[in-house]
Amino acid sequence: MKQFRSMAYPYVVWIAILIIIPMLLIIAYAFTVEGTAFFQGQFTLANFARFFSDAVFLQVLLRSLRIAILTTVVCLLLGYPAAYAISRAGASSTLLILIITLPTWINMLVRTYAWVGILQDGGVLNALLGLLHLGPFQFMYTDFAVVLGMVYNFLPFMILEIHTSLSKMDPSYLEAASDLGANHVKAFLKVTLPLSVPGIISGITLVFLPAVSSFFIPKLLGGGQYVLIGNVIESQFLTSGNWSFGSALSLIMVIIIMLSMYLTRRIDKNREDAI
Amino acid sequence: MKKLIELKNIVKDFDGQRVLNGISLDIYENEFVTLLGPSGCGKTTLLRIIAGFLDADDGQVLFDGQDISGLPPYKREVNTVFQKYALFPHLNVYDNIAFGLNLKKEPKDIIEQKVKRMLRLVGLRGFDKRRISQMSGGQQQRVAIARALVNEPKVLLLDEPLGALDLKLRKEMQREMKQIQQEVGITFIFVTHDQEEALTMSDKIVVMKEGNIEQLGSPVDIYNEPVNRYVANFIGESNIVDGVMPCDNRVIFDGHPFTCVDGGFAKDEEVDVVIRPEDLDIVPPQEGLLRGHVKSVLFKGVHYDTIVETRQGTSITVKMNITEEKPVVNEAAGELMDADSFYLDRDDVAELTESMIIARSNAQAWSRDTEEGISIARISYDIKPENGRYPVTFSTAAGTSVTVDMIVEDANRVVSEQYQEEIYAVNFSKSVDDIKESLTLDNDLIVWADASAWSLAPEDDGARIRITDVIYDFDWEHITPGVYDVTFATKGSEYKVATTDRTEPGDFVGLKFTPDDIHIMRKG
Repeated sequence: MKQFRSMAYPYVVWIAILIIIPMLLIIAYAFTVEGTAFFQGQFTLANFARFFSDAVFLQVLLRSLRIAILTTVVCLLLGYPAAYAISRAGASSTLLILIITLPTWINMLVRTYAWVGILQDGGVLNALLGLLHLGPFQFMYTDFAVVLGMVYNFLPFMILEIHTSLSKMDPSYLEAASDLGANHVKAFLKVTLPLSVPGIISGITLVFLPAVSSFFIPKLLGGGQYVLIGNVIESQFLTSGNWSFGSALSLIMVIIIMLSMYLTRRIDKNREDAI
Repeated sequence: MKKLIELKNIVKDFDGQRVLNGISLDIYENEFVTLLGPSGCGKTTLLRIIAGFLDADDGQVLFDGQDISGLPPYKREVNTVFQKYALFPHLNVYDNIAFGLNLKKEPKDIIEQKVKRMLRLVGLRGFDKRRISQMSGGQQQRVAIARALVNEPKVLLLDEPLGALDLKLRKEMQREMKQIQQEVGITFIFVTHDQEEALTMSDKIVVMKEGNIEQLGSPVDIYNEPVNRYVANFIGESNIVDGVMPCDNRVIFDGHPFTCVDGGFAKDEEVDVVIRPEDLDIVPPQEGLLRGHVKSVLFKGVHYDTIVETRQGTSITVKMNITEEKPVVNEAAGELMDADSFYLDRDDVAELTESMIIARSNAQAWSRDTEEGISIARISYDIKPENGRYPVTFSTAAGTSVTVDMIVEDANRVVSEQYQEEIYAVNFSKSVDDIKESLTLDNDLIVWADASAWSLAPEDDGARIRITDVIYDFDWEHITPGVYDVTFATKGSEYKVATTDRTEPGDFVGLKFTPDDIHIMRKG
């Protein structure tokens, strides 16, 4: 194996350039004010103070978390039955997985734009509702539109993760449950569901993380007034040019995400330890 | 005893492949029944049909007189111990065992009582809170039994539950399982491919083959009176020889008539004769009913597995001419070349081709520096289908050449009227190095001598017969040039004897047995 170790070097370099150095830069920016302060060794907590002293930012953060949690819950409620059905589909499950992942072959931005066409006031959805003499409704620029866009984009991750854990499950567990007197519902609640928790947790992680930091979905479907934490960070870098504050916000997000991931793992681990 | 399960003409197909071929079987209360057979015989399928995991394509399963075909597993009064136990990894030992009782909503204190009692029964007191992943294979096995038994089923189904355990643990669990069955007093249906397991534990053994029941009976009956060659071979090791029954209580095999206790066959019916290795005794030759030479002795701990050959198979002896030939060297071209003289059957001269000559003479040329092979460009020979020596010269393009003899002789064959077989081999010539460098000498000798044997029985259509013995008395590691005898033989009559008497290979001994040691089976 030793002779293959050298083959890892390009990867190490790659990781360093694309992940570690940018992370260090973000940390450096977060603790300095603009200009050459970094090189003069002038560090400050002013960027963090600004965030915590302004109620607007906290509100944006809470709204982001609320939208992300809502998205995750909807993805779980839609994704679990779908994954369960696919794992029971036998030979056609490969085809179903292909259908689930097919949209992700198209650029996310393009797909999200398509929803604008569907949801806008004179869009496809309102036209269809009009045939039933309903509406027109205001879909665009609402929480509904943003959550819909996120669920649409991130649902495949949830389905794939849960499907993986369900299809890995030894079918003899279900036979054993049935043998011991459990009907289908009981067998699901007492065996299938608990055994798929690891899949649920990684599904939640894979949906929650992009949902909490997404900026272009709220921008497209939520409109200019609809601001989530991702939009604030984006504008600090691209419009305000305040990289230091943007970096500080990113760092706060990183900490929140790491904390939430740590907590989910802990819950999972506690559950296992209780066994 | 009361009939508990009645299987009536159970048929099952998988993808058009018949797995169960109309099985009918009665299982009684309080019985330890073993379904025994090799993988693919349908034993597990039958068990799964009883458990309710599979539906039979045809036939009925009656439980206590009620037709339960189509009833889902959770409504059947049977429980299963699965092959890989299928213990729930997210539950601890206690919760695994309590799983069925919790579903029945029994009171907590009753559940606790029952689970504790089960843990005691399977010898796992105090393991309640253990996680399944922390348990050894044997412990998981016990949990699986406890989890099934705690539901107080009328029948416990066990699907090769000991397969994953090591030998010592398996023996221990065999004893324990029998004990548990006697203690709880319910019916066990046990599936295995291990005949020893079946003999040790069962009250009744069902020997299965390709979706049919071959024989059904107590372990002793099946061991002593197998109905056919398949069962005899599957249940323990056996000597099975061809015989003829001239009349009741009389059987002829291995060229001698013997008294036996079987009857009911047609006059001069051909039969299979079974004698168990432990029923044979080794005695001095004059006291033996059969006589032969000890062929091999294997020490098995308590006894010796001794093979006694009462009659050699058809054999043929050929001359092996060992030479000290060195390759011919062509200095100018930097080439080396080598070939051996070889013997040829006169009948084969007409069919001789150049590639056969190269193969038989083992002619080859190679470069001195690179050791790479060089093709032989020309073969010149003149041969007539008459006995004699005919030179053949091989040469390469660069002019290196070697001349050897092709020696034509009468066909060298031995025909055995008694065995209806023929064996053939030719003399051959090899160098000292060929012998020393051979990795599988017996096999190489067969190839070099072109030895083969075939059946002369009209119904066999000249089928090949394996040459089982290659006999020679030279020491291959220290062989010197000269002429040696090599004998090839087919399998003769051999008897496996399990004995505590020590013998040496080559000893001339007698074999003794009593009339009731002989078991006669119908052919087929």
